[in-house]
Amino acid sequence: MTDFNNMTRRDFFTITGKAGLATMVASAVGANFGMVQVAEAAVGKGKVTPFRFAILTDAHLFSQADHKFDAMLEKAVNDCNNMKPLPDFVLYCGDIAQNGTDDQLQKGKRILSKLKMPLKVIPGEHDWYLDMGAAWRGHFGSPTWSFDHKGVHFIGMNSILVKDFWTPAGMTAKQRMDTMEMLESPIAGPWGVQAEQLDWLKKDVKNLKPDTPVVVFTHSPLWDYYPRWNFQTSDAPEIRDILKKFERVMSFHGHVHQTLYNKIGNMGSVGTLSTSWPWPYPDVKLAYPDHQMYRSDPGNIEDGEGSQYIDLESNFTAMHHYQPFGDMLTPAMKNGFKV
Amino acid sequence: MKLTTKNRFDIAMGLIAPFVLLGLLVSNPAAAREPFTAAELAEQEKALLTVVDHGRDLWHGTLPSMSTNGLACGNCHPDAAASNPQTFPKYQANLGKVIAIRDMINWCIMAPQMGKALDVNGDDMIAMEAYTTYMHRGIKIEPGLATKQTSAIVVKSGPGFPKKGSGIGYDK
Repeated sequence: MTDFNNMTRRDFFTITGKAGLATMVASAVGANFGMVQVAEAAVGKGKVTPFRFAILTDAHLFSQADHKFDAMLEKAVNDCNNMKPLPDFVLYCGDIAQNGTDDQLQKGKRILSKLKMPLKVIPGEHDWYLDMGAAWRGHFGSPTWSFDHKGVHFIGMNSILVKDFWTPAGMTAKQRMDTMEMLESPIAGPWGVQAEQLDWLKKDVKNLKPDTPVVVFTHSPLWDYYPRWNFQTSDAPEIRDILKKFERVMSFHGHVHQTLYNKIGNMGSVGTLSTSWPWPYPDVKLAYPDHQMYRSDPGNIEDGEGSQYIDLESNFTAMHHYQPFGDMLTPAMKNGFKV
Repeated sequence: MKLTTKNRFDIAMGLIAPFVLLGLLVSNPAAAREPFTAAELAEQEKALLTVVDHGRDLWHGTLPSMSTNGLACGNCHPDAAASNPQTFPKYQANLGKVIAIRDMINWCIMAPQMGKALDVNGDDMIAMEAYTTYMHRGIKIEPGLATKQTSAIVVKSGPGFPKKGSGIGYDK
């Protein structure tokens, strides 16, 4: 794995110096991928060079040695390494850790370091609320980033930010983490990317043309799926509004631990398989019910989990492929589906 | 017609039966009993919700013996979703026999959570059953294999049952 998130400033200028400073386009931390594809940093319709990327997410690693979730993440890493063709990079959509401890994050980083390709990471709530992201930032850098790759503008944001509920309640850091760990107890209320990242996003895409292919990653869905379980991002409407100038936007998210597809306006939204456990589908009528995976077999600990990869074409269409550990894909998803 | 012993018996039964049925209706406690008073109903509801609340705590990992790997029932079954209590008893494919929900609960504790099974006749098991059943109240009982992940009731806020939030783990 090339640790792009922890690339130093010196590394950055070494790389961009060799490649030419033309890579520095409309990107806060676009340096991360400057070395991957320098010549095609400019984005726009018809300029996409077909490529593949993969997504891993929601490993929820515990501190216990040889926990079964360790093996599941390792299996997904192996699946990525054995893909033909190899993905250009892997994106991790949050919740490496279960309880936000440094040892859990370290374990995840160690397993993910076995990837043959570069890795980009965004955080989930399980990574964050023990120390408000301090350990996570130490391992993976900024949670807010963008980069250009083969004609596509990629954006990552931290979507699990909530208002301070712990100080007035006099909670300890552990109590704060415990509170955020419980899916169906949103004491903190709905989470989102909050104002600072919205401002960043506006600036990030300000100079991009409407025909620029845009892919955005967040931990939670950018639509109002089931707020009770934070299957939502509170400022998703503002995000979609900022991105509405683009002809097409693809959104990929973690958190839901299930296959899922939705489309709102110019944004196609895809949920991802975790490597830990599948969440049930809440009682919500889905617009694309064929993209709901079969019921998991409780007797098979790998059923309902897996990884996914996306093949982007030159016209900025994408074929999304779930790679489940078990057999749980409906015919609509079996051979991939267009996003 | 010559009256045989059997005929005499049949006639006697025909004459007696209406009176017997009337007597049953009059004496049937289900038909005749006065409803509970409001105070009694409130007391019973409170008792039930206390047990449901205990079940919710257990469901979310308050009894350490139920897990040795950090997992709790709530990890896979938020709001008790996909626990499907309305489909039990049913044939459980991974166990190869018809089981009750309490057997499934214990299987989950022992297999995915690698914990110690609950006493099937104990208060903790009753609490677990009370919680998952309460979270599926109003949903049609359909014993048999659930072919898809079923949802529990839709919960807007709170723990899913009448309770005033009082601390960590509860909504405002």
